[in-house]
This record gives sequence, C-alpha cells and structure tokens, in this order.
Amino acid sequence: MTAPTLAPPGAPPPPGPPAAGLLRRLVTDPVARLGTLVAAVLTVLVVVPMVGLVASTLRPTGREAWSDVLTGRLAGSLLWEPLGNSLLIGTATAAGSVLLGGGLAWLVVMTDVPFRRTIGLLATVPFALPSFALALAWETVFRNDLVGGRVGVLADLGVAVPDWLAWGPVPVAATLVAHYFSLSFLLAAAALATVNGELMEAAAMTGAGRLRIARSIALPVVAPALLSGGLLAFAEGVGNFASPALLGLPVRFHTLSTRLHGAVVTGQVERGYVLSIVLVAVAATILLAGNRVVGGRRSYATIGGKGGRRTLVGLGPWRVPLTAAAVGLCLATSVLPGLVLLATSFARRTNSFTGGFTLHFWTGASDPAFAQGQRGVLRDPQIVEAVLTTVGLGLAVALAATVLGTAVGYVGVRLRGARPVTGALALLSYLPFLVPGIALGAAFIAQFGRPVGPLPALYGTFALLVIAGTAYTLPFAAQAGRSAVGQISPDVEEAAVMAGAGLARRGARIVVPLAARGLLAGAALVFVNIVRDLSLVVLLVTPALPLLSVLTYRYAAEGFAQFANAITVIIVVLSVGATVLARRLERTARPWEETG
Amino acid sequence: MSQLLARTLAATAVLCLTLTACGGGVPDTGAPAPAAPDPLDTAPTAELVERARQEGQVVVYSFTSRIAQVEAEFERTYPGVDLLATDISSTEQIARIRAEAEAGSPGADVAYLSDAPVVLDELLAEGTVRNYVPPRIAGSVPDRFREPLLASRLSTKTLMYNEEAHPAGPPVTNLWELTDPQWRGRVVMVDPQVRGDYLDLMTEVVLRSPEMDEAHRALRGGPVVLGDGIGSAGEQWIADLYANDVVLVGDTDEVNAAVGARGQQDPPVGFTTYSDRRDNEDENRALQAATGVAPAPGIAFPALLGVTPDAAHPAAARLLVDFLMGDGSPDGGPGFAPFYVPGDYPTRTDVVPPSGAVPLAELGAWTIDPAVVAGRRGDVADLILTLG
Repeated sequence: MTAPTLAPPGAPPPPGPPAAGLLRRLVTDPVARLGTLVAAVLTVLVVVPMVGLVASTLRPTGREAWSDVLTGRLAGSLLWEPLGNSLLIGTATAAGSVLLGGGLAWLVVMTDVPFRRTIGLLATVPFALPSFALALAWETVFRNDLVGGRVGVLADLGVAVPDWLAWGPVPVAATLVAHYFSLSFLLAAAALATVNGELMEAAAMTGAGRLRIARSIALPVVAPALLSGGLLAFAEGVGNFASPALLGLPVRFHTLSTRLHGAVVTGQVERGYVLSIVLVAVAATILLAGNRVVGGRRSYATIGGKGGRRTLVGLGPWRVPLTAAAVGLCLATSVLPGLVLLATSFARRTNSFTGGFTLHFWTGASDPAFAQGQRGVLRDPQIVEAVLTTVGLGLAVALAATVLGTAVGYVGVRLRGARPVTGALALLSYLPFLVPGIALGAAFIAQFGRPVGPLPALYGTFALLVIAGTAYTLPFAAQAGRSAVGQISPDVEEAAVMAGAGLARRGARIVVPLAARGLLAGAALVFVNIVRDLSLVVLLVTPALPLLSVLTYRYAAEGFAQFANAITVIIVVLSVGATVLARRLERTARPWEETG
Repeated sequence: MSQLLARTLAATAVLCLTLTACGGGVPDTGAPAPAAPDPLDTAPTAELVERARQEGQVVVYSFTSRIAQVEAEFERTYPGVDLLATDISSTEQIARIRAEAEAGSPGADVAYLSDAPVVLDELLAEGTVRNYVPPRIAGSVPDRFREPLLASRLSTKTLMYNEEAHPAGPPVTNLWELTDPQWRGRVVMVDPQVRGDYLDLMTEVVLRSPEMDEAHRALRGGPVVLGDGIGSAGEQWIADLYANDVVLVGDTDEVNAAVGARGQQDPPVGFTTYSDRRDNEDENRALQAATGVAPAPGIAFPALLGVTPDAAHPAAARLLVDFLMGDGSPDGGPGFAPFYVPGDYPTRTDVVPPSGAVPLAELGAWTIDPAVVAGRRGDVADLILTLG
C-alpha cells in the first residue's frame, strides 16, 4: 500500500517491533482506540455466529460432512461444480453491475443527459424489488416449453426461445445484474457527486479531453465505490437462492447456494454449514485480493475545505442513444417488473391476465370463494401492524448499522500503520453476507436467547431483530462508510486537531456532515435490505412482531400469489420512498452543493 | 492472510469462546433422558381447559398458514386462551426449535410440522419435542399415527396429470413408463435436493424395490437390470428417470402450473400435492391425480404435532393438540375444518374423508414410515447428487 501524502491525525507510529508498537498505539491513539471498540462489537456480531458455525461442523457428524464435501465421490456434484457455477454467476453479476451501474451513475451525475432525476430515481428501484420478482419477470418474457405449462410472451408469439436464454446461467446472471446494478449505481453516484468541480475545471482548462478527465479524475474517485458495489454484487450473486432455483434448476444448473439450501432443508445441516464455510473462504479470498488491487489507492480525498460548482460533460451526438439506453435499462428493470407485480396483484387468477381482474386482494372482505377466506391486504390489521414493525426495524437497523459502518470506515481509512487491524475489520464487516440467513438466525437465537452477563435473554424481542439485522447489513453500511469517509481530506481534520478538537467532536462536526451523502445512501441501502429481507428474519420473528417479508413468503408458500405480490408492492413503495427521502435529506444536508 | 490477522482472529475466537461459550448449530444433548410422564398427559379435557385459562395463552409454530383459521376457531371455543401462531416452514421450525432449546428459552408450546423423517431423527431423538396423544382420541387413531409422534392428517406427493388433455384417464399406468422415450423431458417434480418431501418420495421408491421390480416385470416382461453402482430396482428407476431428462423445479406451485395449465397440446405429468386440486377452478387448471398406477403413484406422509418439553403453557399446549385433532364429528368439527379438504387424509378413523377425492386405498399411494425413511434418506440423497 502506498503511503498517503498526508500524515493522518493522531500519533505517528513509534519505532520498535510492530506488535509492541501496535499495543502502544491502542492505548494512546484515539483512532486506534475506536478501532479496538469497533473490533469488539464486530466480534460479538460476526465472529460469535461464525465460530458457532465452525464449531458445529467439528463434531463427529460434521467431520463426516467435511470429508463428504471435500473428497469422495460426491465432492464433484456437491462442491466443485456448484462452486464453479457460483463463481461464474458471482463474477458475471459483479462485472455487469459495475459496468451498468457505474456507467449510469456517470451519465446521471457528470453529464448533461436529460431526465436525470427520473433516471436516477428509477435506477434505485430494482434493488428494492425482491430478486425473485425479476426472475419471475424474466420467465414471463422468455420462458419456453422445456418445463411445460404456460410459455412466456416470446414463445407465445411464435418466437423459438433457445434453452440457454430461457434457463441456466445466462438468465440467472442477467436477473441478478438487473437487481444489483442499482446498488453499484447508488454507491458510484454518491462517490461521483463528491468529485470536486474545480478539479474538473482545472483539468479542462489545461486542455485535457473529456475521456481523459473521466479516466484520470472521476474514475480514481469512484473506484473504491465501484469495487464495493462489485464485491457486494459478487457476494449476493454467489449467495442468491431465488434466481438460480427458479431459472437454473430445470436444466440442473446448481450453485453453492442451491446446494447449501438443499442440504439444510433435507436434514444434512452440517453439510450445508461446511458449504457455507467454503463460501466464506472463497469470498474472503476475493475480498482481500480486491482490496489489494485498489488498496494502494483506497482513499482519494475529494472533499476539501471548499466546495465548487460542477460543470457537466456535454454528450454531443451520443446524447440521444445513451439517453435511450439508460431509460430503456431503467424501464426494463424497474417499471416493467413493478408493473407485472402490481398487475398480478389484481388478477383473479395467479399470474394470468385473461381470467379477469379484481380489487379483492387489496380491499376485499373475507370471502370463502377467495383464497380460503383471507381478507384483502389493506383490510388486514396484521398487515398494518407489519408495515409499522417493518419500518421501525428498518429505521433502527439503518441507524445502528450506519453508526457502526461509519466507525468501521473511519478506522479503516484513518488508522495507518495497522494493516492487520484494518484488514481484519474489512473482512469481518463483509462476512455476514456469506453466512446463510438460516444459520445466522439460528446462531443469534442460540447466542442471545439466554441471558449473557448483564444482558437479559433477548429471544423474541425487537432488540434481537435489530442486532441480527445490524450484523446482516453491516457489509453495506461498512462499504458505504469506507467510501464516504475516504473522500474527506485528512487536512480538514488536521485543522480541527490543531484547534484542539477531539475525535468525538471531529466526528460530529466534520466527518458526519461531510460524509452525509454517502452515509445516507448507505443507510437507505440498509433500510431497503431489511425491509425486503427474509432469510434472516424468518427465524426471529414472532406473532407479536410480524414483518412484511415474512407475510409475503407465507402467502407465496400457500400459493396466494396475489397477496404476496400486493405485499411486495407495499415493500417496493416503502423502499423507493426511503431512497427518495434519503436523497432529499442529502440535499438539505449539503446545501452548499448544487446538484443540477 | 497475514500472521497477525490470523492471530487476531484466533484470539477473538478464544475470547468469545470463553465469554459466551459459543454454541450455534446443533445442540449436543447426547442421548435424551426418556421423558418422564407428565400428569397432564392423562388429564381429561375439562381439566386442561381450566388450567389453560389460568395460563392464558398458547404459542404454536405451524408449517401451514391455515393455522390462522384455527386461531379464530380456537379462541371462539376457549375464550380466555389466546392462541399465538407463527407460520414458518418445517425446516425453519427445526432450526428454530433447536436453537431455542439450546438457548434455554423455548418459544413455542406446540409444533405443527411435516418433514417427518428429519423431525423424528433430530427433534424427537434429541428430546426437543415430545409426543402427546389426547386420551379421548387414542381409540380412534391407528397406532402408526400415534407413535412416535401424533399425526393429524396425511398429505401427498403423488403423480398428477392434465385431465383436459387426457379426458379418458391417466396417461400413465406404471411408474416405469416415466423412463420411456415417450416421456423424455416431460416429467416434472421439485428437485429432491431442494425440498425434503420429494426426497422422501424418492427414498420410499428405493425402500419399495421389490414392488418396483414386480412392476417392471409386469410392464417389460423381465427383471430390472441394475447398472454400475446401482444397488436396487428403486435406485435404478431414479437413475433412469434422471437419464430421461426429468425436469426439476423449485416448488410445487411450478409443478402444478406446468402439469395443470389448461390449453396445452402435450402437457407433462408431475409429482405434486393431491389437495392442490382445490385450486383448479381459481387457477384455470386441470390437475387430476393418477390412480391405478403400478406399483404406486406416490407417497402419503404425516403432518405431525408435538409439544415442547419445557413449554411455558403445558396445559394450553395439550388443549390445542386436542382441538387440532377434531371433535369426533364425521367432518372433524371446527378444529379440523381448515384441513378438511379433498386430497388430505384425516388420520382419525371416525372422520369421513372429504368427498371430491378418491380414498387413500384407491389412490394407492404408499404411506411412508418416517423412521425407516430417515434411515435411508442420506444414501438416496447421495445417489441423486451423483446423477446431477
């Protein structure tokens, strides 16, 4: 890692053996102290469940699972083939998301593209849609007669859809990219928005071309955010179950996630946990490698003491085609699936527009002719309660995860000369993503269900949901925190240090206000994730704490697709609302910035 | 990973082990002590009602959302006892009940779940759930549905076809026909590696190898020739079915849509749930169960009821089990009403099976013995893994 040009605030590392020096730093340097505190919190949130996971595979049956998975006649179909498929899907998802999301962010933030607000808003929708919604939308269009039943729109028109386009890795990767490009977009847009207008102008004055400016000024700034987005997309691409189950199984396309899920539901829990540990190891390797690549240029301070107006890049002849491409992409990934969901929630028959329409699933009273007498969702007091609980949980987790993520990001960026600590923090804050939700949920019940020291038993409480949710969404919050803090020039803080401001005061008066845009984007991501997540909360909810995603799942499992879709629409409205609100807040948080 | 990072991680692991005695995963209870008989197990219903009122509530985990209808009926029948129902899948219930037992804070009083082989193998063997048979129904439920855990009804995974495309009756009369070229790529089921009840179906086929061999002789005039590494006629059928491009999907509703959708020229057949026929009209489907299939069209498996040993509301828990088993009237009464649908089979001999579905004997599905299935499940899962 190349040393930064500016010394960070805090004591310089004293000479001597590194371990001893580190210890001394931990006592004297406030940033190092914060790092220690964060590490302790991460230990409780992440290491404890992970250790539980590993420990359960070290019992006799678990040891057998290890040998089954790694060697023997099953290893090929249990591990290697799905692993290859997972890496393929993960890489494709990451690459596609970064290209599409980054490109779109550049268009919206840096150029004179028309409808930028609309595009910016639409680009955030796909992430709010559950991934199965996009997989369903794909099926609606491309499904061929391989499986039987109803064919998709294209096959219906007489177009012969080849199997590779209807099933297997191509549609799985495509639907996941459609889902996660919006995550890359959000992170990249937040980073690009901080590019100093004066830098661009200065570059333009010295005669640098547009591409050159993009490459040498915008790209370095946005690289960490793109990497974060790519890594998150990779982890999700590897871990996603809905898409490969829906679009991959008919052609026996298995990924680690479907294998893992299958092992757990067929009672071979240890095998599932072993696969999960393999998944963690693979992703951790990729994370560390990725950080090494970008590590040398991790922090580009772009927020100095002064802000500047931004001049937009003119697109010239490219304006029309690029606009069309951007709008087309957004419509295909947000409006279209959204409309499909909305329309199917009014359909009298599941996923059919020929059987007539009804408002029953939204507003109907209990009628035995409909779905075994279930009330319409807007009439069901449980749904109203679930909306409140879900929003409350989303807000609580967003706050907790953002605070923690900011601390992780701050320590990661500002703590110099302690690579192991920052590396460990980066790794720990990324891990929860790779532990299957059901294992994480079970571990949290087992750890916090009983009283620990001064803590009462948290089982069945809202607090446990918040703790588990914070651990689960930490990867988002930490990545957002890292890229947001990384853009604040250390000299701003140094000035404050000289004026005698302590760490807490610097955090409250400088770091948080300056990083607000990135942090709010991160908080919105966390909120969205919690609002639509199911795998984690399904073990932790109780009737007293109903959550929307759990209700969706319940209805879907019972075959009441209309109710499931109606609740999904509510989830999407909440998520998009949160994203819009976050952007509003960003503007008010940074009134000195023109956003065009 | 650098050495220091490794050491940091190791140190934190040790720290957390000492601080919280990390567990997670599977509770290591060893052999459970045989549960001491609870006096409540033999208490008459009237006494349970009185004690349940004092307890005030009962918590149930249910694998079916129809528990919501039970809740309304139960609270109407026993005012003063609040029923709290959480609707989660059997797999998640198993994970959750275990984690709760380990944390020492049981969340549920009653578990209503399927996945019998896993439940018996794990929860019952560990002692994290136990059996309760209401004394008043002991005479009207056959032994095999009273032990080791009480079963309230049987559900099915059976061969179904599209009756619009085949008005004359089932297009298949022998399971071995599904391995013929005529049905290549036109048999649909949920991937047995993704859903436990389909693994049970495959396991039962293996357990019934003698019958499979007999059916093969009836259709093809000779015994089953076993391929390389195949140990039985049932395993050979699974291997042949996979070689014949069986289509695997993610859940039963996809099977129903593929097999049942109206207006198909040449629809596939598939293994799914008989009682899903009740949605035919709503969903514009023509699902029908194949009867007269040799040696059997599929399996019937139990929906189980268990109580947790340290239940916070032991009397109310038993009262709920009692209620769910029906009141002795021919249709099972209000407690059983949500489950009185054609294609689900009550275990009580004094309940008349709902009309609109053929009796279980006529359907011909094998009723599984969960304990035996549990013993073979792992091997069959491994076989299927090697098939792709």
